[in-house]
Amino acid sequence: MGKLEGKVAVITGGTSGMALASAKLFVEEGAYVFVTGRKQEQIDEAVKLIGRNVTGVQGDAANLEDLDRLFEIVKREKGRIDILFASAGIGEALPLGQITEQHFDKTFNLNVRGTLFTVQKALPLFNEGGSILMTGSNAAAKGFPGFGVYAASKLALRSFARTWLNELKERKIRVNLLVPGAIATPMQESVLTPEARQYFESLIPRGTMGQSEEVATVALFLASNDSSFVNGQELFVDGGMTAI
Amino acid sequence: MGKLEGKVAVITGGSSGLALETAKRFVAEGAYVFITGRRQEALDEAVKQIGRNVTGVRGDASNLDDLDRLFDTVKGEKGRIDVLFASAGKGEAAVLGEITEEHFDKEFGLIVRGTLFTAQKALPLINDGGSIIMTGSVASVKGFPGFGVYAASKAALRSFARTWLNELKGRNIRVNVLSPGQVDTPDSQRLDEATRKMFEALVPRGKMGRPEEIAAAALFLASDEASYVNGLDFAVDGGFSAI
Ligand SMILES: NC(=O)c1ccc[n+]([C@@H]2O[C@H](COP(=O)([O-])OP(=O)(O)OC[C@H]3O[C@@H](n4cnc5c(N)ncnc54)[C@H](OP(=O)(O)O)[C@@H]3O)[C@@H](O)[C@H]2O)c1
Ligand SMILES: NC(=O)c1ccc[n+]([C@@H]2O[C@H](COP(=O)([O-])OP(=O)(O)OC[C@H]3O[C@@H](n4cnc5c(N)ncnc54)[C@H](OP(=O)(O)O)[C@@H]3O)[C@@H](O)[C@H]2O)c1
Repeated sequence: MGKLEGKVAVITGGTSGMALASAKLFVEEGAYVFVTGRKQEQIDEAVKLIGRNVTGVQGDAANLEDLDRLFEIVKREKGRIDILFASAGIGEALPLGQITEQHFDKTFNLNVRGTLFTVQKALPLFNEGGSILMTGSNAAAKGFPGFGVYAASKLALRSFARTWLNELKERKIRVNLLVPGAIATPMQESVLTPEARQYFESLIPRGTMGQSEEVATVALFLASNDSSFVNGQELFVDGGMTAI
Repeated sequence: MGKLEGKVAVITGGSSGLALETAKRFVAEGAYVFITGRRQEALDEAVKQIGRNVTGVRGDASNLDDLDRLFDTVKGEKGRIDVLFASAGKGEAAVLGEITEEHFDKEFGLIVRGTLFTAQKALPLINDGGSIIMTGSVASVKGFPGFGVYAASKAALRSFARTWLNELKGRNIRVNVLSPGQVDTPDSQRLDEATRKMFEALVPRGKMGRPEEIAAAALFLASDEASYVNGLDFAVDGGFSAI
């Protein structure tokens, strides 16, 4: 018997990388999942890869109308949500001095505003005892040059988690942050220069980046009842990079 | 197939409370466990409750000879260790102004010194890829009056985790601290009603944790599910320390 038998999960930005690996694992553990992303071909590919008990919904997690459409579809197809994994996020680099309004607005619009409204719009469908997880970043606990705006946007999510778990306690909804370190997702693989890769690897005690599947098992833990007394946490999945 | 199939775990202070519950869960997931405690009767009772795949070894985790005996037994019976859960600890209260040498030495002698030598003596037996978990406490990130020495002793464990994970990286041994919040164990059942109510009021859900909920988190840290989780001070406290 799976750990998420009969549960309904919504995963934004779930057509690639660690959120896709999580969607796959959630389905293996008995859940029905909705995954979102902006590019239709990637949605189709993800749906095919997951194979069953999945609906792909095209949409931009920074766009409130798209979010309305997403939750209307969830409502129509399943009527309720047990797990929300708000993972859509972008991390672009610009050092202080070169930060543009556009860079700031784009980052905060998706990572902070988009995540906030994803959660708020999901709320009416949420079952008592549900689990909300958001994807932070260990950049928020570090000072990687160029990632000031990104890091601040991710740390705002930790603050949300703290307020919301308190506001949602009567409904027994838990809110946690999953905080990846350097993970070898397709996105990372495509942008990392060999030098940047070497630099990140030198920061990781075991010397190799995390795999999407190693994040998915942590997402499963936070989504399932195994974490019933875990709330408001930032769970770092970074191989120890932040601790040392 | 269990998550700890064929693994060997050593759990100090495992004859009661959250560590006993963890021992039960580990065995249910396929592990063989060694548990320790000072009182033989409690140990016998715990071994009976766990039922199979368990050895009880009497000993004080602050006593280095006892620790040598423990790991000799483990070596003789199983030869190796995959999971070390150093959980022996006890929180006693004394406010600044009334702290005695004895209080300090007892708390640091068990929680810091005892945990350190538990890990160091286990090390030669720990398999590459193993997992070390120490029991901290959310008290270490709070300021509960009277618990200054206890909280500081637990905070030291988080610091150990950071150094050791780096020193042990060549062997792929992960080191994490599991920091429970208020958990309903025999120890906390000794609290008077008013203190208990006060603690419960601090937990968002209004109810203490159950030992089973700590065991589930310990299993997570012990298993491959947490293969990229390292150096955490992982609070399992129902959100108490976050708000
Ligand atoms: N990889 C790392 O090392 C790392 C480290 C720390 C934190 N993170 C965080 O982890 C999350 C996932 O990262 P990843 O590396 O797995 O990324 P990825 O492989 O690039 O996947 C990103 C996913 O999000 C979707 N997405 C992007 N923008 C979106 C938007 N505006 N609305 C809806 N969906 C959107 C993408 O699909 P479309 O492009 O089709 O929309 C894709 O499905 C992000 O929040 C990221 O900040 C990553
Ligand atoms: N319960 C909570 O709310 C809570 C919260 C935060 C942290 N913790 C920590 O969690 C751990 C377990 O707590 P618990 O509440 O489960 O305690 P418990 O029910 O009182 O059990 C403590 C166990 O440790 C053993 N023990 C105590 N001193 C020992 C020593 N010197 N050497 C070897 N074994 C020893 C006890 O057996 P003997 O007495 O026979 O030795 C018993 O098996 C402790 O480290 C505690 O500080 C508990």
